[in-house]
Amino acid sequence: MPRVSVIIPTHDRPQLLTRAVDSARVSAVDVEIIVVDDASSDGTAAACAQLTGIKYVRAERNQGVAGARNIGIFESTAKYVAFLDDDDLRLPGSLDMQADLLDQHQDAGFVCGAMIMADQDYQPTGEIVRPRHAGGDAFWELLELDFPVMPLCTLIRKDCFSTVGLLNRQVTSIDDWDIFTRIAELYSVIVVDEPVGVYRQPTPFSGQGSSARAIQLQLATRHQLKLLQLPRAAAAPLMQRRKIRRRAIRRVSENLVWNAGAKYLPQGRFSPALANVAVALRLDPLIAVRPNGYKTVAKKLIEKMGVR
Amino acid sequence: MPKASIIITTYNRPHLLPRAIASACASGQDVEVIVVDDASSDETASICQSTRGITYVRLDRNQGVAGARNVGLVASRGEYISFLDDDDVRLPNSLDEQIEALRKTPEAMLCYAKAIPAVASGKQSEPYPAHCPQGDIFWKLLVRNFIPCGTVVVRRTCVSRVGLLDDSIPGIDDWDIWIRIVELFPVIAMEMPVIIWRQSTPASAQGSSRTVELIALGRRRFRDHWMKLPRAVNATRAERHEAWRAFSRNIAEHLTWETLSALRQAQAGRGLTSAQTLLRLHPGALLSVLRRWTRASTIITLMTAGTGRNDLANAKTRFKQIRSDAPRQ
Repeated sequence: MPRVSVIIPTHDRPQLLTRAVDSARVSAVDVEIIVVDDASSDGTAAACAQLTGIKYVRAERNQGVAGARNIGIFESTAKYVAFLDDDDLRLPGSLDMQADLLDQHQDAGFVCGAMIMADQDYQPTGEIVRPRHAGGDAFWELLELDFPVMPLCTLIRKDCFSTVGLLNRQVTSIDDWDIFTRIAELYSVIVVDEPVGVYRQPTPFSGQGSSARAIQLQLATRHQLKLLQLPRAAAAPLMQRRKIRRRAIRRVSENLVWNAGAKYLPQGRFSPALANVAVALRLDPLIAVRPNGYKTVAKKLIEKMGVR
Repeated sequence: MPKASIIITTYNRPHLLPRAIASACASGQDVEVIVVDDASSDETASICQSTRGITYVRLDRNQGVAGARNVGLVASRGEYISFLDDDDVRLPNSLDEQIEALRKTPEAMLCYAKAIPAVASGKQSEPYPAHCPQGDIFWKLLVRNFIPCGTVVVRRTCVSRVGLLDDSIPGIDDWDIWIRIVELFPVIAMEMPVIIWRQSTPASAQGSSRTVELIALGRRRFRDHWMKLPRAVNATRAERHEAWRAFSRNIAEHLTWETLSALRQAQAGRGLTSAQTLLRLHPGALLSVLRRWTRASTIITLMTAGTGRNDLANAKTRFKQIRSDAPRQ
């Protein structure tokens, strides 16, 4: 039985996949690499036939990321499971290090680390995103959207899936937040500050980064109502639940306004900026009278004018 | 590694579970029995822990049948997989025979067989379905789910190819995965009964408003997902239209039956709901239902049902048989 499974869902990106698989190979000594081909229509199957030592599974009909990851979990025979996107990389030895931590802490559900941000050519931009948590019980922070956990940097104990269930396909794109919250409800979380993965950022002009983000955050606020029904949250006093809800909505709307002001307006992309602000206003109408959001937008605008 | 896995999902039914487990263990050689306890709040856990020879998986948070079956799939290791409900009974050696049939036909991915329906009182009736079509049954299965879930044995490899069960459609999740399987692969059917299927009595809560709800859910699934599968998309307009018509006719019949049986039991509210749904979904299908219902055999069945309330369950089964015997143009 291998120690760690790396599950790589892929869809129509054979040129990037090889690199992700190679990085997974060296991330642990005893590793099982499962490539779930989510109904690719191009050369993915042929590219995977070239790769040795991987388990290739093909879903004949598109399942979405969450569905493909579930197939990966179904195929996995290891004790620990890690998800890797086909355009991201795992750092050498990183999975062994995380697996050691899970070995030492039997009550922990998953361990997350830091990630190195990179551009389209996998060149580090110099930014490192570290987990904003000390470890232990992270349920409330996750529920409040205060503790973003990147699936790329995480190693999960596979037994967790048989106590909390598999990934939720209905909330694809935030399925990772959903499962981490459900695991953290019952298990403790380990946090390491060391970088364990390389995240290839989408180009600023690709569709991924813009409106998708707004939709994702909107979906997250809606799905939070469901997560608030988890027994541990439901048992909390009403005031606490209300506070969590309020803070999450405020955080999401400020994030949206900040994105509009700091990212889209400087690039002169007015429609995603407007879309973000519209979503923010719908979620939290009071944001219009709260100064924080404005300040960011105004500052960025002035900078932009100054440059011109 | 075991040859086959039987996944039993259970929720708060400890009095029936041991029988299901024992029958699963005796259904074949080299069988791994996985009991997925969907967060039961009673003594299910202690019963399972004291049962030897099973793999017990306990969910701490209720996931619904489909979610629990998926967890069972993840825990399973067998090359062949079968699901069993906690109130069903698998017949001895039945699993081995089905596996043998699958082994002889390498291209088939799924094998189903008949189920003996038994109402809660223990009364048994003719095995269902009366006809077991084989090979490519995609269009037939779209119209009506005639595959009893517990009789199915699938190959492990096909689960990853079509995806796991969809837990957003409780009640028709099995129908959905069979459709995804038969869209791509041929199936084999065996004429022998392999399980005893405990059906809810018409008077129990399960059979009532849930039926109407399920029909609405199935109709949505049919339009939004099944008709969007490549096989259906690439079919001719006439084929698609025919499938939709047959499907509509079938659910109209179901709803008519539901209305009648509600009225016979003097449950006006229930009858009204199903009649309303029927009129809303298929005003046009009513005519064809009426035409079929005026057939001699159907009238006799209805008259039998009229003689005594207790015969209602038998009448329904007989009605089902008549319907599945009737040729479909």
